[in-house]
Amino acid sequence: MKKTLKPREREQLLGTMYGGPMGLWFTLFFTVPLGIIILYSFMKRGLYGGVEWEFTLDAYRQMFNPSFAMVVVRTLWISVLSTFLCILIAIPCGYAMAKSKHQTFLLFLIIIPFWTNSLIRIYAWISILSTEGFINSLLMRIGLIDSGLKLIYNNGAVVLVLIYMYLPFAILPLFTTIDKFDFSLLDAARDLGATKLGAIVKVMFPNIRSGLSTAFIFTFIPIFGAYTVPLLVGGKDSTMIGNIIVDQVSKTRNWPLASAFSMILTLISLVGVFWMLYNGKREQMQKGSKKTTQQALEHNIKAHHSLRGTK
Amino acid sequence: MNYHKYSSKSGFSFSYVMLALVIVFLFIPLFVVVFFSFNSARGMQWDHASLIWYKRLIFESPSLWSAFRNSLIIALTSSVTATVLGSLAAIGIKWYRFHGRSYITTVSYLPMVLPEVIIGISMLIFFSAVKVRLGMFTIFAAHTTFNLPFVFMMVSARLDEFDYSTVEAARDLGANERQTLTKVIIPTIIPAVLSGFLMCITMSLEDFVITFFVSGPGSGTLPLYVYSMIRYGVSPVINALSFVMILGTMVIAFIFRKFLKTVAASS
Amino acid sequence: MKGVEVNVQRVSRSYGDFKALDDVSVTIKKGEFFSLLGPSGCGKTTLLRIIAGFDFPDSGSVEFDSKNILPLPPDKRQSNTVFQTYALFPHLTVYENIAFPLRLRHVDKETIDKKVLEYVRLVQLEDHIYKKPSMLSGGQKQRVAIARALINEPSVLLLDEPLSALDAKLRQNLLIELDQIHDKVGITFIYVTHDQSEALSVSDRIAVMNKGKVLQIGTPYEIYEAPSTRFVAQFIGETNSFPCTILSCEPYEEEYLMRVQVPALNGEVSVTDYKAQPVGTQMDFTVRPEKVRISSNPPRSTVKELNTFKGIVEEPVYSGFQSKFYVKLDNESSTLVKVFKQHTAFLEDGPDIEWKDTVYVSWTASDGYLVKDTAR
Repeated sequence: MKKTLKPREREQLLGTMYGGPMGLWFTLFFTVPLGIIILYSFMKRGLYGGVEWEFTLDAYRQMFNPSFAMVVVRTLWISVLSTFLCILIAIPCGYAMAKSKHQTFLLFLIIIPFWTNSLIRIYAWISILSTEGFINSLLMRIGLIDSGLKLIYNNGAVVLVLIYMYLPFAILPLFTTIDKFDFSLLDAARDLGATKLGAIVKVMFPNIRSGLSTAFIFTFIPIFGAYTVPLLVGGKDSTMIGNIIVDQVSKTRNWPLASAFSMILTLISLVGVFWMLYNGKREQMQKGSKKTTQQALEHNIKAHHSLRGTK
Repeated sequence: MNYHKYSSKSGFSFSYVMLALVIVFLFIPLFVVVFFSFNSARGMQWDHASLIWYKRLIFESPSLWSAFRNSLIIALTSSVTATVLGSLAAIGIKWYRFHGRSYITTVSYLPMVLPEVIIGISMLIFFSAVKVRLGMFTIFAAHTTFNLPFVFMMVSARLDEFDYSTVEAARDLGANERQTLTKVIIPTIIPAVLSGFLMCITMSLEDFVITFFVSGPGSGTLPLYVYSMIRYGVSPVINALSFVMILGTMVIAFIFRKFLKTVAASS
Repeated sequence: MKGVEVNVQRVSRSYGDFKALDDVSVTIKKGEFFSLLGPSGCGKTTLLRIIAGFDFPDSGSVEFDSKNILPLPPDKRQSNTVFQTYALFPHLTVYENIAFPLRLRHVDKETIDKKVLEYVRLVQLEDHIYKKPSMLSGGQKQRVAIARALINEPSVLLLDEPLSALDAKLRQNLLIELDQIHDKVGITFIYVTHDQSEALSVSDRIAVMNKGKVLQIGTPYEIYEAPSTRFVAQFIGETNSFPCTILSCEPYEEEYLMRVQVPALNGEVSVTDYKAQPVGTQMDFTVRPEKVRISSNPPRSTVKELNTFKGIVEEPVYSGFQSKFYVKLDNESSTLVKVFKQHTAFLEDGPDIEWKDTVYVSWTASDGYLVKDTAR
């Protein structure tokens, strides 16, 4: 005999049945691992990897070691510079795409390089920039130079390839927001005496603020945590936080330090996400519809990931 | 509604030039790689056209193919798991209030927001803390974890457009819980579920950073193989492989072509 | 008589601090066309959802013919619902949507065909049975929803603002059809709406709700002509309503004639009511705009039951079959009085009244009424 349940008990049961498995999965493979990282960052390092169960702030103290501090500063300036360049390039692109009659085709063009395996794309740049690479071969053949220029394994190459890799992350959310923007507002601004650029800056930008902040965050966070690009096209002085974390885990075997650096990455990412949410929420309030933080988070992430195929 | 698309056709404006340049910028590296995959010589000096690297790729790269086989196994298993768990959770979160609901929603978005290195490192440390041997299983677990949010998000987006009254209508008209699921909910969300699945396959085949952390001996996937080719001895076979992978990407993007716009509009 | 009696007793439902339903009791008779009328957020939809089984009360009982139905899930109740958003299954055709409930019960194919056809005829959709919902107009969608809800032969049909998404003209037609369908199937209809004219025109009885409470239950005539509170008076139709104090009260024919002091009118007014009110009681004096006469000359009768005020036309609004006048009284109060004048016969309405004309507004004591001032 099936017991008849009250609707609210039924809801509880059904919700748990549907949502429970994913909840358990994330608890086991996401929340717990992240918890372990937090825990480990306060532990003493073990001799051969792992940790000893003793509370200490050593890991955080080590981060102020000048060589590490340098890396943090470098990571910051490389990320900020690449992100700003990405956004600067992405704004006119998103605008042109939104105004185009061939949106699907343009999306297709942006997405093909974007979905191509990231290592393949990095490899392509290596074969273009390296000493015997495409550019140098070309220049030598024409006779402009005698020996190969040093185009790769420096910070410039890192910034260039980072922009290449993450430009679509900025273009796509900007496109989605600008596409929803009511372009008759620009006409109204022109009608009221604004120049074309003036109308865009004074009328369009304030109305696509959430798209701008989404583009900023979703470009900044992966660049800030970049690992492969500095490793493969960077030089000795291009190490970023991502590389330190991996080195500390696999080579130096200082797990607490790797955990502490991971904490920094996580915290900065979360701060960025909340800033993005704050912007999205403010825009929502201007439009008069109230949203909870949860909905705002979902909205922003969807606006970004709707077109995103790869991590 | 589409008024703006016709309002100003000012030919070559700054933004159009910029977009064109960006598209050229995005495609040049791909063209270079594809072009030299047909070069008979090793370097970036053009010799003459040849399919030798394709021959090597297909007939003389057994370890590449075994890496590809691993990739396929992981992609299929993790995508199926993620699709089932993610779709069910999307339904549950959307329609029922229960304890742990907001925890599940928050935690399901975080893996998408955090840098990949964090996900990889935390899983590596977790697996070694609980003494699980790195190998196919750990890669499977990691891929399912980063795939889940995407299925969850895509199915949720579909459910957002879906009028909950239709579920109540089904119940009202005499359908029980199971009939409502099989006769109303699943037929409506199936396009999003399939797209989510395809997305998972793509991401799983593509992932390098997270796999790098949680793979063990003998469980190398295709991206790991590509990585070792780039790091420890570049052979033009990688050019040939690149072309094949770019073609694969184009096919997938083509399959997605309709869905891209729909989801973009719904978010 | 088909249908069941629906008995809602002392039902309450809160969402956090918000009381959606506050001790609501309603008895709906067998076969009745009963409307729940009120502004959005008044609790009418919550009540409907509780009857349907989509929501559950914190306390109270709901019975169909004295049988408690609260433990039953929606699929086991003898009620079916027509949803505001139609709730058609987008992946099924019109035919399949209507056949859905029968297929769930594994009814044989022939019977399904026969019944679907019968109900498709009832809602006049014979030409559209193989279309998908996305190809139908709003009105057609709602007809499918009605047919689908009726095919199970429920004892109660619950209608949740079924016409609110349609345009005005279509709404009128569908409303009349709905009334005819009700006559044909003879079951109990519970109709939720925020549109007073819909409720007035088709209901046998109406319950007016506000802030989770039932304020008045009665026939459309009773609700309109004898509203029991200020809210009901103002929500149903338009009205002139002012706070007042009872000055005197004496029997008058079968009722009572009262003199009341109305500060907003800067004067006294005569009003009759079947209920006597003690002197000094604070109430609301109300008179409907269509009951007020407007004329360029003072009305000839000077009996004390006639209330007359002098004023200036502040705003005349011509709207076809009638004109509305906002008359500013010619005293310190400067209160605006609303007057509706029907244009019954061509050129027989007397001379045109225009902007800034001096006019007289008047009404008899029996045209006004007193309501409880719930706001105080």
